[in-house]
Amino acid sequence: MRALSSDSEDYPRALLDLRDPPHPLWLEGDAGVLSRRAVSIVGTRRMTPYGARVARELATAFASAGIVVVSGLAQGIDSAAHEGALEAGGISVAVVGAGLEAFLADSRGRRGALAQRIRDSGALVSEFPPDAPARTWTFAKRDATIAALGEITIVVEAPAGSGALITADEAHRLGRTVYAVPGPLGARTSVGTNTLIAEGRARAITSVPMVLDAMGASATTLRVDRDPIGARILEALAPAPADPDALARRLGLRPAQLTTEVARLVVSGEVVCGADGRLARR
Amino acid sequence: MCARRTRGHAIAIAIAAADRPETARSVARVTACALWGLETALVTVEVDVANGLPAFVVVGLPDAAVQEARERVRAAIRNSGYEFPLRRVTVNLAPAERRKEGTGFDLAIALGILRASGQLAVDVAALCLGELALDGALRPVRGAMPRVRHAVARGVSEILVARANAGEGAACGIAAFGFVSLRETVDHLEGRVRVASAEVPTRAPEPTPAVDLCDIAGQETPKRALEIAAAGGHNLLLVGPPGTGKTMLARALPSLLPPLDDDEAIAASAIHSVAGLADPDHPVLAAPPFRAPHHTASHLALVGGGSPPRPGEVSLAHFGVLFLDEVAEFSPSVLDTLREPLEERAITISRAGTAATYPARFVLIAAMNPCPCGRFGDQAAECRCLPDAIERYRGRVSGPLLDRIDLRAHVPRVPYERLREERREASVAVRVRVHAARERMRDRLRGTGRRLNADLTVAEVRRFCRVDEDTDKLLADAVRARRLSVRGFHRVLRVARTAADLSFRDEIATEDVALALLLRGE
Repeated sequence: MRALSSDSEDYPRALLDLRDPPHPLWLEGDAGVLSRRAVSIVGTRRMTPYGARVARELATAFASAGIVVVSGLAQGIDSAAHEGALEAGGISVAVVGAGLEAFLADSRGRRGALAQRIRDSGALVSEFPPDAPARTWTFAKRDATIAALGEITIVVEAPAGSGALITADEAHRLGRTVYAVPGPLGARTSVGTNTLIAEGRARAITSVPMVLDAMGASATTLRVDRDPIGARILEALAPAPADPDALARRLGLRPAQLTTEVARLVVSGEVVCGADGRLARR
Repeated sequence: MCARRTRGHAIAIAIAAADRPETARSVARVTACALWGLETALVTVEVDVANGLPAFVVVGLPDAAVQEARERVRAAIRNSGYEFPLRRVTVNLAPAERRKEGTGFDLAIALGILRASGQLAVDVAALCLGELALDGALRPVRGAMPRVRHAVARGVSEILVARANAGEGAACGIAAFGFVSLRETVDHLEGRVRVASAEVPTRAPEPTPAVDLCDIAGQETPKRALEIAAAGGHNLLLVGPPGTGKTMLARALPSLLPPLDDDEAIAASAIHSVAGLADPDHPVLAAPPFRAPHHTASHLALVGGGSPPRPGEVSLAHFGVLFLDEVAEFSPSVLDTLREPLEERAITISRAGTAATYPARFVLIAAMNPCPCGRFGDQAAECRCLPDAIERYRGRVSGPLLDRIDLRAHVPRVPYERLREERREASVAVRVRVHAARERMRDRLRGTGRRLNADLTVAEVRRFCRVDEDTDKLLADAVRARRLSVRGFHRVLRVARTAADLSFRDEIATEDVALALLLRGE
């Protein structure tokens, strides 16, 4: 673990834009990644499957374009963003809301493993002393730091009062562009993001290439030649996961036809058959 | 001086006893049967009534219940109007080197004493099983069926039991005489009363299943999964919000299963007999058993145990269905005990001095909510569970257990319009397909002792589950992309084999493999 003082060579310049830059910045991993181009992707802990998919897709696209994905390593959207970046072989930075030692001692299981993977290729950083416990105010301060690290900030899903909105406000104040993923009216998890768009504090994201363009990067996704049924299935699964029967009815397919096509998509990794038996897009 | 007087007194009694008739000093032999789990052995009850201080000794490794037989037998003999010999009564249970358990020896001991003391005029050749009440009434014992079966195999030609056990005996193909009391038994043996042997009991009428498939609206995929589970014996996990019909689907499973054949019925009924659950009028099960233990069940209740070891729910579900509703609410350590029976198809329970092996060949149907609040994935309600909480909840069903579940289906909420749909397939139609598919499996596995696709060995999977080039490519891609382990690969092929059997196809088609992949989950 290293402590980067604000006058050190490795200290990320972007943080100096903050009113109260962290001093020192505690770090585990590679200090060099903090100075690379980065995007901040944040959102609620209580995400929907749709939010999980969009966060993952955005992170994958940015990571493939060589852009570092910054988030807060909370459960929900944050974890989905980190995972998406790592899956694409990209680099991710996690800004945690407690001291690094305290955080690592607390995170077991899947999140502990994720923290390990982030540290191996990117970095875990914290502005709090290693043994500082997590408090409400530490999270709020951390949210602001995330906003400063990214050239742009994307809010995937956020209910009213979400910490992700602190990140959005701070990014707005720092003059960074804020993007928000619009959600269905009436969905609790999209009240915050829809409000950001409505009040002109964030731009609506209408496609993944659109935000990549905004950072001057281009999507390098390979267009696979897909048969029309496969494309229709992926389209039908875009808003939310579905059970096979509902999907077959919506697409007017015979069950046997649907299963064969879906199985191909499952094998190719584009669709997963979840732990609850529903089909979801990855 | 005092001791000398006592010795003289004893000699006087011995001289007096020597005047009694010679017949009263013989050794009587009566046949009984010991039971350890499902294991049985004929036991010769030897009774010697000899001169000496009045005493009643049982030797031959009796357990506490057999020791207590002394008190029951003494009272029953007196209260039936006979005389309990005031002499030295020695009972030996041969072979003497194994511990004998339970109350089933009472009748044999009592008849032996009556014979040895000259109060019963004839020898007893029949197998005697029964517990005595203090007033001389005869009570049924558990585990009569496996004991009688053993005796039949050893050439015993008739049995004497309590009336409630007579049906179980007759079901084993033997002349079974049922009595209400010790007195009636003796009267029958001496020919004063003629009790007719029990008739072979009819199989229990097949119960009307609680739920028919046509009672359930929509749910095509879960129904298809249920059909595959019924035909091939594959284990199934149903996941869905509360109130969507998971329990109903599981309870419809018995309506899809063909009736037990004779061997299966006897094997399953024997376990129920050992557990003391046999119905006296219809001791032989007709329909496959359906067991649904509550989620507060202990591991003793689930896999069996106690001393002497009793069969648990997994064994009571032998050749039937074990349904675990709300499987995530079971204690994880209890669920883990299912691994052995799921893998070995039997469970061995070891206790100090005894070990019992009970078969446990069942289809496991488990049902659970998708998350702690149950609303995850429900269109009609919003789930507010945190992702970590959902993961923890699902983690309650351990990986090794999930690994042994081949099928996983989501049971969604059915929209109202579909609840009104009229065209639904009834269980009877599905059952015909299941039956036909099972016939195909049976032909394929003839001579192996196994009969369902779920039990195919790896070699048999290679032999019977061939796929065409196109399908092979799909599977190869799945394995290469690490979406399928080697174990998963074989499981998918077994399920695909069942799907093809249900469609009366010899060749496994791509859609069969696709369905198996889809129902497997991650």
